[in-house]
Amino acid sequence: MTAQVLTANGLLDGEVVFFAGGRWVQHISEADVFIGDAGAPALAAAEAQPTVVVAPYLIDVAPSEGVPVPVAYRERVRALGPTIHPDMGKQAENRREAAVIEHAQGAARSTGRVALIKRK
Amino acid sequence: MPSAIYQYDAIDSAMLADRVAEFRGQVARRLAGELTEDQFKPLRLMNGLYLQLHAYMLRVAIPYGTLRSPQLRRLADVARRYDRGYGHFTTRQNIQFHWIKLKDAPDILEALAADDLHAIQTSGNCIRNVTADPYAGATADEVDDPRVWSEAIRQWSTFHPEFSYLPRKFKIAVTAAPKDRTAARAHDIGLQLRRNREGELGFEVMVGGGQGRQPFLAPTIREHLPVRHLLSYLQAVLRTYNRHGRRDNIHKARIKVLVAQLGAEEFARQVEAEWAATDKAAVDLPDTELARIRGAFRIHPFEPRRGPSPAFETAKAADPAFARFVRNNVLAHKVPGYAIVNVSLKAPGETPGDCSADQMDAVADLADAHSFGEVRVTYQQNLVLPHVPLDDVPAVFAGLQAIGLATANIDLASDIIACPGLDYCSLANARAINIAQDIAGRFALPERAEAVGELKIKISGCINACGHHHLGHIGILGVDKKGEEFYQLSLGGSGEEDASLARILGPALSGPGVVDAVERLVDAYMGRRLDGERFLDTYRRLGAEPFKEAVYADAHPA
Repeated sequence: MTAQVLTANGLLDGEVVFFAGGRWVQHISEADVFIGDAGAPALAAAEAQPTVVVAPYLIDVAPSEGVPVPVAYRERVRALGPTIHPDMGKQAENRREAAVIEHAQGAARSTGRVALIKRK
Repeated sequence: MPSAIYQYDAIDSAMLADRVAEFRGQVARRLAGELTEDQFKPLRLMNGLYLQLHAYMLRVAIPYGTLRSPQLRRLADVARRYDRGYGHFTTRQNIQFHWIKLKDAPDILEALAADDLHAIQTSGNCIRNVTADPYAGATADEVDDPRVWSEAIRQWSTFHPEFSYLPRKFKIAVTAAPKDRTAARAHDIGLQLRRNREGELGFEVMVGGGQGRQPFLAPTIREHLPVRHLLSYLQAVLRTYNRHGRRDNIHKARIKVLVAQLGAEEFARQVEAEWAATDKAAVDLPDTELARIRGAFRIHPFEPRRGPSPAFETAKAADPAFARFVRNNVLAHKVPGYAIVNVSLKAPGETPGDCSADQMDAVADLADAHSFGEVRVTYQQNLVLPHVPLDDVPAVFAGLQAIGLATANIDLASDIIACPGLDYCSLANARAINIAQDIAGRFALPERAEAVGELKIKISGCINACGHHHLGHIGILGVDKKGEEFYQLSLGGSGEEDASLARILGPALSGPGVVDAVERLVDAYMGRRLDGERFLDTYRRLGAEPFKEAVYADAHPA
């Protein structure tokens, strides 16, 4: 079964955020992991928060060392920050999480990307 | 120091103030939930505000690539106060800030407006910020100052009610020199100023160029348009486009598709018919207004000096690094005793086009001290100090060295154009900056880069081609293969007066693979070039085969 995490950008600051227990957190390692279609209610709840987040969508992840690592490279960049600026973004705040994501193997096409582009 | 370039009048300033107030209200309504994201998105885009991977991005217009030193300091202030201490100069002479918060955007626009800066015409399906020759007013080979006409287009097109909702975005470039430094044929409209046999000033009008998914070079639809009719003719082109452009399919909506489908001759016929029916006097710029704009671009109080500059010549003889800088970054000025100094934003290991706030402030100081307070931005993502006395070039070089901006690599292999790519952009398929950095690293030795000579490498992170890969001597396009980054090589492009579109060489390569491939291409060129041949010339003479062989003989394509 596919594992998924719900992500979005914060409306106020554009920051990448992840859904965890009904709130939004900054780091993917703290995010709720949904199996199969279990993320659908969370996505619906997120879409009902238009003054909190923009363009919520589910991404595929593969758990690695306790971190739900995005399968698609694009989502890894979102979860980390710019690869050319390791001093910026989430990678600068949580080095362990970043190291797990950077070293995780395997990738597949991003989920939700087409809808995301339409929205942005 | 009195400005010698156009400054906004009371009407311009009031317009900007109104615009900021309007956007402040729109942001407040969005935050309060009175506007949905779908309603708000086109409003924020009209103010240059995109939502990218990590944050909002604000694109600020630098009309025709010309900045006064206080404007550059204002950009530095925005970078420092609202971003992370840097900005990114783009391939359309704009600047982007990549870490903007929505709640700050109205304050930023208000701060920018204090120095005649704004984000109008940097997004949306309107006539975008006009590109012009960055050496305007400084180069000896121009027949007129293209900024005068660019400013006229800016005033005419800003908030033009008929052309604010075109089928798609619309980009215009203006150049007045035979050496094209604007990529004119890659624009929706390219305007080349020249004199006819009678000595009259006119525009060659090229329409229907563009890159992206379907690249085209703009064909010429009129060889000589009398300059006084510029605006009425532009209106005729845009009306023809507005009437027939495809609004049903975003991939076919640009004017290049319309021109290609109709054919240049038929498109030109329709434009001429529209123009013939136009009340030209109602649209064209009155002579008085043209004179007012031209008067704003005053000639600086240059002090021409014949003969060599001892300070310049002594420094060149004494310092090989300065001599290299002069060879690669310094060009002749139209006034004897002055020079055009290019400032490379492509230092080894740095992001192409990125400039820190401290660097911006320092360049503004250098401009005040040595270049009449003027700075230019190039579509190659570099800066220019356009009016430097030869005596002052050593001091400018030392000043640039002190801030890490003295890299002597203009038009060399390490002077790479790269879009922000997947490190920032929500549309990208692959990263571009890291590839640029790795390739530049292979040519970091100045001796090697100079031995290779002119080589324009251009990298885009997706098919939208912001990195101009279609126009690269070596073009690199990032593609997504099952979620992983791969890179497609193209060769033989040029955005200059010898414009051509690059052709795909072969299957896509991995990131490290494409960096190795560029070295192989260069080796193949070095082994085959004739005297004086650039990479592009050798490719055009020999075709793709020897280069294909060099890259794919034992590579492992995807």
